[in-house]
Amino acid sequence: MKNRIRVLRAEREMTQEKLAELIGVTRNTIISLEKGKYYPSLKLAYRIVDVFGVGIDDVFTYEREIDGPEAGDDL
Amino acid sequence: MKRAVYLVCILLTVSLVAAMVGWAIAAGALLVPVIAIPLAVVVILACRQQVKGVMSDERAMRIKSKASLRTIEVLLVLGVIGVVVFSSYAFSTPLAPTISGKVTVNDDGTRSLSMAISRGGNTGMPGEVISSITIRNIDAMNETEAAAYAAFWQEGLRQYNESAIVARTILYCLITLIATFGAFYLYYARKY
Repeated sequence: MKNRIRVLRAEREMTQEKLAELIGVTRNTIISLEKGKYYPSLKLAYRIVDVFGVGIDDVFTYEREIDGPEAGDDL
Repeated sequence: MKRAVYLVCILLTVSLVAAMVGWAIAAGALLVPVIAIPLAVVVILACRQQVKGVMSDERAMRIKSKASLRTIEVLLVLGVIGVVVFSSYAFSTPLAPTISGKVTVNDDGTRSLSMAISRGGNTGMPGEVISSITIRNIDAMNETEAAAYAAFWQEGLRQYNESAIVARTILYCLITLIATFGAFYLYYARKY
C-alpha cells in the first residue's frame, strides 16, 4: 500500500502536527503513515481524505503483492 | 499540560501512594490505602483531562495489542519450560536429596543418631552432603539438639522445597494469565 500523504500535505503547506490534530491522531502516526510503515484503518483513511478533500484513490494506492498479503502482517 | 508532565505526575502520584500503602500496612493503618488509592485515581484522571492533544490513537492501540499478544505467547512458553524444569527438580526421585542415617548403641547403653542429607543426582555416586547431624542421646534430646534437628531438616531440604514453591508459583501465574486472557478473549469475541 502506497500513499501520497506527504505530497498532499506539502501542497497544502500543512505541518505534520496540524494534520495530526485535524484527524485526531498523534504526530508519530502521521510520520509512520508517510513512511509507509503503518497502514491506517478504513475509518482513519477516510478521515485523511476528508481533510485533503480528495478521493480515496488519490491518497492510497493498493499494490498487489506477488505472494499475496496476509491479514495482520503489517501494522 | 504536556504529555511528559502528565507522565511525571503519574509517576509521582504512584510513588507517593506506594510509599503510603507500604507504610500503612507496616503500621497497621489499613484505612490509609482505602482513602489513598481512590484519591490517586482521581488525581490521575484530573491530570489526564488537562493534557492537550491526542493521548492515544489506533496505531498506539494496535502496537499495544501486538505487544500484549507477543508478551503472552513468550510468557506462556517460558512459563511452561519453568514449570517443567522446577517440577522435575522438586518431584523426580533421581534428583531428590538422599537421606541416610543410623542409630548406634553407645557403651553406656544410650542410643545416638547420625543423619545426613546429600544432594540428589543420577551419577550413581554418593552426592555432596548438604546437612548432617548427630544426636548423642536420642532418648534424652535437649532443647539445643531439638532446634539443631529442626534446622537440619529445614536446611537440608531447602533447595528441594524452594524448587517446588517456584514451580507451583509459576504454574499459578500461568493459570491466572490463561484464565484472564480467556475471559477477555470471550468478551471481545462476543463484542465484535
